Amino acid sequence: MKSNTDEKVILDTSELRFIEGHGRLVVKSIGTDLKAEFHNIEGPRFLTRYLVGKPAEMAPLVASRICGLCYTAHSINSAECVEKALGMKLSKEVQMMRNVLYLANNLRSHMMHLLYLSIPPIEGLISVLRLRDRELFRSGAKLLAKSTELIELWGGRSVHVPNVVVGGFGTLVKGKQLMDSIKSLEAFMDDARKIVNYTLGLELPELERYRPLGSLKKAGSYPIYSESAPLALNDGSVMDAGEFYSELEEIVKDYSTSKQVHFRGSELTVGALSRIILNRRYLRPESRALSDQIEWRINPFLIIKAQAIEVLHYLEELIAAGEQLYDVFIEPSSNDYQTCKLSQGEVTACSGSGEGVSIAEAPRGVLCHSCKIEDGLIKDYRVYTPTAINSLSIELDAVELVKRFKPLGNEKLEPILEDMVRGYDPCLSCAVSLDVYSQDK
Amino acid sequence: MKLAFYSLTSCEGCLTTLITNLGSHLETLWNIFDIDYFKLVREPVGGSKIPKADIAFVEGAVVTNHDRERLIEIRKNSSFVVALGTCATTGNIAYNASRDLDLSENKLKDTEINKAEPLSSVITVDFELSGCPVDAEEFTMALLRLINNIEPIQPDYSVCYECKQKGNECILEKKKVCLGPLAMGGCGAACPSVGSPCYSCRGLALEADLPAYLLTLDKKGISKEKAIMMLKTFTGKKTKELLSSEKQY
Repeated sequence: MKSNTDEKVILDTSELRFIEGHGRLVVKSIGTDLKAEFHNIEGPRFLTRYLVGKPAEMAPLVASRICGLCYTAHSINSAECVEKALGMKLSKEVQMMRNVLYLANNLRSHMMHLLYLSIPPIEGLISVLRLRDRELFRSGAKLLAKSTELIELWGGRSVHVPNVVVGGFGTLVKGKQLMDSIKSLEAFMDDARKIVNYTLGLELPELERYRPLGSLKKAGSYPIYSESAPLALNDGSVMDAGEFYSELEEIVKDYSTSKQVHFRGSELTVGALSRIILNRRYLRPESRALSDQIEWRINPFLIIKAQAIEVLHYLEELIAAGEQLYDVFIEPSSNDYQTCKLSQGEVTACSGSGEGVSIAEAPRGVLCHSCKIEDGLIKDYRVYTPTAINSLSIELDAVELVKRFKPLGNEKLEPILEDMVRGYDPCLSCAVSLDVYSQDK
Repeated sequence: MKLAFYSLTSCEGCLTTLITNLGSHLETLWNIFDIDYFKLVREPVGGSKIPKADIAFVEGAVVTNHDRERLIEIRKNSSFVVALGTCATTGNIAYNASRDLDLSENKLKDTEINKAEPLSSVITVDFELSGCPVDAEEFTMALLRLINNIEPIQPDYSVCYECKQKGNECILEKKKVCLGPLAMGGCGAACPSVGSPCYSCRGLALEADLPAYLLTLDKKGISKEKAIMMLKTFTGKKTKELLSSEKQY
């Protein structure tokens, strides 16, 4: 048997800067081969284990704490998997409100990622606060603040939204407030345009590598959150949430506090680039026109450009949603704004048994929550995050990158490698939800 | 004056709250202070080394060996340490979630995983600012007091107090558990205001009186077991201490 002694570390980023959670990337050579290890060193908080034995209505509250950036996605996915397990049907109003909340969540997360985390290091800056173009920074900060404000208004708090509950929403959404908040978004279109133009103008490395891509699919629209939308791959195949879940495999790596999630025994790339490649014809008009100027290829460096296009698209989508919401939420017979009741107005205890899987397009890609419930109590709860799914792609891209750019030497190679990892917008706090101690599904 | 912002095991929601909710004030902070460490905002001064700071804000619980080593280093290099958010002050959900797990088998090459602890289990903490997430205004008030050499203060009222101010219908009156009377205020009663019960995510109120609260539940015929389960969710080590000191429970 060949020993491991000829393994040699050729590159080690040490703790990665500008990412959520704690991680590092190590590239090793084994003889003539290369191998990369994406280390998650974030500690687990065992949140999904805490849910076992607890009342099902607690799921969104606890799941929200998985992530400080995409908490709204976790809350909504969580409520939905419980609702599916218990056979609860949601009203059209609830689905529409969850959709707009999801849009605001993805907008906020993308803005945070582009502005604070990904653009500064690409531009060789120590911080976004050193960006020369102050107007650009202010536009970004305005969009970040506005999306946070929407989440606060619709979700009940700016971070960890208490208003998303099993069965709908906890409280009444005031018609006028809702309409005004959406109407105010038109004033932010120019800010979004600035961000998009700037990001699309960045010169980024070439790293095309073919691999399976996955994204939710919803005929006729760009997918984010939809109760019954299936998942589509770039090979044209389509599967529902349950089928997708059954194809996922948990892989332990002795260098990572979180398990990797493999799809059909191999990699799957999810996220903004996969969404754009599979669904760009459904982007809103202005975003689509900008997207058409780009030759989309499977290059991880293009993820941030896809995110920038999505920032504009989400804004266009939110503004367009205003009209649909008006039709549903405002009584046509009256010219006045009406107060609309979305659910019972309080959190109700869950009863019943069943199993449920929910999938949705969180900012970083397909997010999957699954639960088993017996007599209203949670028996099993699992979260497969986009970062856990993308981890293998990050490693394979790292190997490819080192192969192609090795002549540059380590000093120049390392920042490019970091930019590549950061492009995926990894969240190690999210990924560790599937901790190394957890029982396989 | 030098400030530093650190993150241990957490969702990083406290630091992102500061970034998004401070808005343009973050730029003001950047201009007034030397912020030498804030991983989400800047390339750290001195790389992964912990820099000297006058005030260090630390979010997260202590779970890995890396967390512990860093925290000890942070304490050594900082004149004043603020525990930022509920993970740092009580251990949050991770505290009780990890209590019954068998973590003795070391599964990883370089990382040890231990049961979650609040910062105060490992170092001396100078001030605690609770919240899941922390409140940006409360942070600002604490910072303003600290830079003026005035002792920072915690809210001296419960969530119940803020809920009443808002005119919300009382959840306890509907015969459902709500931890408002025990919970530290400062959140503006965010959860009860949308019809969700308070889970005391900001930790215990300064004058939290568990016996009196449980007596009230008894009178109303509300489940005490459920209340204790809910209380244990966010208040981690603080509730463990409270429950062990109140023998009658």
